[in-house]
Amino acid sequence: MASSAAYLDADENLEAIISHIEQKSRKIETLLKQSKPVEALKTALEGSPLKTRDERCKSANWIVVHRAMMAIRDVDGMFNSLDPEYYDILMKYLYRGLSTGDRPTCDQCLKIHEKLTEKAGLGCILRSLADTVNTV
Amino acid sequence: MAATPAVAIHQFAECITCHAWSPDQSMIAFCPNNNEVHIYKLFTDKWEKLHVLAKHDQIVSGIDWSRSSNKIVTVSHDRNSYVWTQEGSDWVPTLVILKLNRAALCVQWSPKENKFAVGSGAKSVCICYYEQENNWWISKVIRKRHESSVTSLAWHPNNIYLATTSTDGKCRVFSTFIKGVDTRGSQSSTATDSKFGEQITQLDLSSTWAFGVRWSASGKTLAYAGHNSMIYFVDEVESAPAAQNLALRDLPLRDVLFVSESVAIGVGFDCNPMIFAADDTGLWSFVRFLDERKATPSTSKASQLSEALGKLYGQSKGTSSDTVEPSKPRGGAHENCITCIVPLTKGRDGTIKRFSTSGLDGKIVVWDLENHITIAK
Repeated sequence: MASSAAYLDADENLEAIISHIEQKSRKIETLLKQSKPVEALKTALEGSPLKTRDERCKSANWIVVHRAMMAIRDVDGMFNSLDPEYYDILMKYLYRGLSTGDRPTCDQCLKIHEKLTEKAGLGCILRSLADTVNTV
Repeated sequence: MAATPAVAIHQFAECITCHAWSPDQSMIAFCPNNNEVHIYKLFTDKWEKLHVLAKHDQIVSGIDWSRSSNKIVTVSHDRNSYVWTQEGSDWVPTLVILKLNRAALCVQWSPKENKFAVGSGAKSVCICYYEQENNWWISKVIRKRHESSVTSLAWHPNNIYLATTSTDGKCRVFSTFIKGVDTRGSQSSTATDSKFGEQITQLDLSSTWAFGVRWSASGKTLAYAGHNSMIYFVDEVESAPAAQNLALRDLPLRDVLFVSESVAIGVGFDCNPMIFAADDTGLWSFVRFLDERKATPSTSKASQLSEALGKLYGQSKGTSSDTVEPSKPRGGAHENCITCIVPLTKGRDGTIKRFSTSGLDGKIVVWDLENHITIAK
């Protein structure tokens, strides 16, 4: 597939992505301690590794998003401060959450899914389903 | 207040694949989701079936009726195309050998009506022109570039450039210059200097199936729909493509029509035409749905959906009805996906005042824009 030179380049890239996610994780823990779950979620969603095919990076980012998502108690309130630019990426992570089958995760994802669909519309769901290039 | 924009609704069949109007708009030709083309004529206030064109073996996927030469071209999943000419009270078919090994999916007459283009499942586009000496239509195939089925076509007003959309997600513009059919003209332009089959531009904006490509009347703007509920407006396609990606709130579109240089209508799975407009700076945005009729039920679609999801995961969320009805009649003109939009009448200012739509519900609806939207030139 890729030549060995390109593969090495990808490796370095992946390391950069993983360390970026680790940075995010620390920032999120701080924000959660300050009772700012929406800020934490925004931080988690920003800079998500959509373009890479590497499963480790995607899983690492998912763990971080999951942590922030589960800390949200007031879903309605969350949408008051979440900008529309985050809707599409949040929807993709909601479906990842639903696919885990874990009861608490699914409960939370469904709660958020209902409100997000009201806010963003069915088009948002379609984009998360149809986009096979930028995946979470 | 103002009457509904849907001025006429006709239920012609259970399902309609595509439709086209005669030059004087007294007759309509459509495929009722089978291998035939039915032509109906309006007598006072009743539509009567006048002709049945039955030459194809499979579903007729595309029909176009030329305005000046009054010829009907039809293409079908049976890989054939016929050009129908009216002789007296009959329509006489002429077979056009397309040399396809997959279904033909769409067809459009060129602006000068001396060529027509056919998009196919064979990842190719056939450009057909009439050869006077042998009295038959010849097909020249553009085989390169497309990686999947060609879903829709649109001719640029210069009669040479052709835009295509494909299920490979891309929109491409090709030159269809044919020696002997197209003239080079005294001034050299990039269009007349191009070679047949040459790809002018490739737009890779959607990672999903693309449909419904259309040029604005001047050819300055190109629009097409992505199956990911997006619509793309592109300016300066030939030189420096500048695209605007509009994310739609609702379901995807299947076809698009430019009503003026700054207003476009999109139709699709929401069963209701969507109006898009560009402001003075050229920025496109969604305005509103055209048909104002609202559905009566109080539960919104979203909460119905989450009720269903809730049931799936064993939670009971809704307190109202026990059963979830996913397909309530919406109260609009169309009850199912609109797949085809055709322009009808132009106003004195060159903008389109009336257009028609057909869909999977078997209806053809005529829409009037006068008094319903103000169209800035």
